[in-house]
Amino acid sequence: MSDVPDKFRLEQSAASDESVQEVHSRLRANLPDKEHGYSKTPLILLGVMCTLVFFGSIYVAHYSIRFDPLVVNAHADRAKPDDGTKVVVTRAQLGKRVYQANCMLCHQANGQGQPNVYPPLAGSEWLANEERMIRIVLHGVNGPITVAGKEFNNAMTPFGGALSDEQIANVLSYVRSDWGNSHPEVDPATVARIRAETAARKTPFTAAELLQIGN
Amino acid sequence: MKNGLLIFVGLFTLAALSWAVMLLAPHRQYGGLGPAVDPVEGSVHPYGTSGLAAQGRLVYQDLGCATCHTQQVRLGTADLERKWGARPSYARDYVKDGVVLLGSSRLGPDLRNVGARLGDVPAAEYAEWFHKVLYAPSSVAARKPAHPFLYDVRPVNPGQASHKALRLTGSAAPAAGFEVVPTPRAEALVAYLTSLKDTYEYPDETKRNAPPPADQKGGH
Amino acid sequence: MNSPVSSRAEQEQIDATTKWPVLAFLGSAVFWLVVGGVFQLGASIQTHSPTFLAECEWFAHGRLAPAALDVLVYGWGFNAAFAVSLWLMARLSLASLRHGGWLLIAGKFWNIGVFLGVVGVLGGWSTSYELLEFPRFTVLLLIAAYAMIAVWVVTTFSLRNTENVFASQWYLLAAAFFFPWLYSIAQVMLLKAPVAGTLQAIVDAWYVSGIYTLWFIPLGLAIAYYFLPKLLGRPINLYYTAPLGFWWLISCGVLLGGIRLINAPVPVWVPTLGIASALLLPLPLVVVALNLLGTIGRDAGRAAASPTLSFIGLSIVSFLAWGVLTIVTSARGVATTFQFTLGPAGLDWLALYGVFSTAAFGAAYFIVPRLTGREWASPALVRAHFWSAALGLGLFTVASLVGGFKQGALLNDPSVPFGDIGPALAPWLAARSVALILGAIGHLAFAVNFFWAACPVNSGKCRPAVVSAPPDLPAPVGSEAHA
Repeated sequence: MSDVPDKFRLEQSAASDESVQEVHSRLRANLPDKEHGYSKTPLILLGVMCTLVFFGSIYVAHYSIRFDPLVVNAHADRAKPDDGTKVVVTRAQLGKRVYQANCMLCHQANGQGQPNVYPPLAGSEWLANEERMIRIVLHGVNGPITVAGKEFNNAMTPFGGALSDEQIANVLSYVRSDWGNSHPEVDPATVARIRAETAARKTPFTAAELLQIGN
Repeated sequence: MKNGLLIFVGLFTLAALSWAVMLLAPHRQYGGLGPAVDPVEGSVHPYGTSGLAAQGRLVYQDLGCATCHTQQVRLGTADLERKWGARPSYARDYVKDGVVLLGSSRLGPDLRNVGARLGDVPAAEYAEWFHKVLYAPSSVAARKPAHPFLYDVRPVNPGQASHKALRLTGSAAPAAGFEVVPTPRAEALVAYLTSLKDTYEYPDETKRNAPPPADQKGGH
Repeated sequence: MNSPVSSRAEQEQIDATTKWPVLAFLGSAVFWLVVGGVFQLGASIQTHSPTFLAECEWFAHGRLAPAALDVLVYGWGFNAAFAVSLWLMARLSLASLRHGGWLLIAGKFWNIGVFLGVVGVLGGWSTSYELLEFPRFTVLLLIAAYAMIAVWVVTTFSLRNTENVFASQWYLLAAAFFFPWLYSIAQVMLLKAPVAGTLQAIVDAWYVSGIYTLWFIPLGLAIAYYFLPKLLGRPINLYYTAPLGFWWLISCGVLLGGIRLINAPVPVWVPTLGIASALLLPLPLVVVALNLLGTIGRDAGRAAASPTLSFIGLSIVSFLAWGVLTIVTSARGVATTFQFTLGPAGLDWLALYGVFSTAAFGAAYFIVPRLTGREWASPALVRAHFWSAALGLGLFTVASLVGGFKQGALLNDPSVPFGDIGPALAPWLAARSVALILGAIGHLAFAVNFFWAACPVNSGKCRPAVVSAPPDLPAPVGSEAHA
């Protein structure tokens, strides 16, 4: 219809799709021949590429902290941590939980027991002899018993069925090392041996029987 | 670049590279990360939410709280100084969260440790404060949208005011003879918010994220 | 192989085969644009007036804001993308679109999926993953619809009647290929067989970054690369650098997701890799600037006179701005201030609206008259659309960036109580709402024009379009003469 379209009236395209395709493919195929051999643009682009890749790689090397998945801090120590991350846990520390779950009710958190009812563990002379202690925990003890100069007469339930050798060793290690006591750790192997030795026993020990186990 | 097949192969290679580097590699690295077990106490950290708090997380998701609140405490920023957390958030903190809601906008404050933030305030008062923030934020000077649809304003049964009714004063208080009671959804949401605390110090993470010792030359 | 199209009749034949699918997709796109704009405006008002719509659970900010973005991305963005890619691929392959009727069905399914998804988000079934909030029951619907449409695009390409593959086609193929990859993997790793812990955040960041850098931005560039030589009558400047720019942009884009996770509880090498990719981004920016701005050259006046090219000019400028801002805000120090503020959302909007939507508007202004055979009814509305889009985009970007940095500075200052940050931010949030109102005016102008032109009822009112046979592109100086 008309000649030059108005502003914002239908605009005519200045090239057909076919020629767009064709001209550009020729441009791809024949790089413009520059007189001096190399065209500046690709060289500059090459330079830009190399610089960016170089700096990018340095950045990654510097801030990936060994690709450690537990690190969230980009400025953390890049040196590998020694395996001193292992926390050393003693038997006594493990035994504390066993004590709190099983023994605390009667012997109290501070190991003082209850006067006239439950004997104290703090400062108790019985703790020195692990043969006796293990037997007490495994099979219980009842009847009169003298602890730290005081008389008690009660029944302690056996824990041999409820606690494993490991747990008994741990809790005894705890009791022997806390509240001012300081006796060596108890080994689970000892507990196992004594458990086997006293396997036939069905009743709790009495103080007299225990005192016969000399040490 | 005439060959459609070559273009496709190039695109596929890049897509595979992207997936392998950004998704597969981290998954291989820490996809199986579990909670840490404290060697002394034997407690498991994080323990994960359950019961009412877990339902509350669903309410948090469906209301879209993550649109305005983040749940990540950042290292080396003012987050720690604002007492939004005692320590930065680590990946392990989120392993028990079914849907991780890190968030990407802080129109509202960070919520990761909001359960630990009010310190020694008793739990009931804590919950009450959360309910007020959700029902009538202006009454506690919080600038956020209210969610009155989480609460029932109902007439008080004669002589039997609900013990769960919110104690509101001023313009937020309901009309005489009415009380504002949280719906189960509100209670669940508050239980969830109260459960948000990351206080355990993981020995492994703490060690690996420590900055280099000051005497190290050339360190960063 | 058929002989190449050289006559106006055959070009019109291609257009005739694309007519109904393209117009249907554009019509749905415009509908979603208006709806999404309303939602987005509502969400924006809620940021500075928290009591707005607060009583209604369905319009709680945490539901309205994601719903708005999803409508604009999947409703407007994808429908417009489908329309433009189908038309562009058909034209550049010099091949007609066969059996286009099936595309109408695919489009229907896509729109149903988006509708159900939006209802799901507003009704409280959101998955709460950014840009993946649509509930699970919409996923298969969307994938099936998309697959059909992408297959059509790729098939049209493989049945092409020309040996040459032009730059726009590379970008279209890249976009068509990457979206199903991104979407299906993200759905599997987040919803079907969820990964544990902050891996979810990595997957989501990968997906969101991919949607902007590997879907929307390539489509915007595809449109720009096509219309510039076509309307200016000049080949793309330094065209032989275009493949480099293409591959480098895609390579950067595939690893860029990490910049959304700076300072996050993820392994630190993930954001580091993202930042390194951002460091590599200047190259494609330079190439695209050389190609596209170089083609416009001194003809900026002529380009400004054409509605299509003025929108595309906006798109190119937005792309360069997006690129520079992405690089700058990816640096850890800057990111620590910038993240979690209005800023990143502003950048995302710059990609979705600035780069893609403006180019799509420009393309639509060219395509629709050729399909309907009718000119645009009102040049005034076209001008109004352009200026409101440009001003709205500019205001939104500036308000988001400046407000974002201000918010970031306040957030990182522990002596500022958190409650003081909201009032300090209010003017910037209000400016964003104003910007959205401006944009909405433009969209209404576009919608009115579109339905006036596309709807066959108004046949009496509009002049029939006259499309004269396009001349050939002049061969570049110095290249071999060819037979």
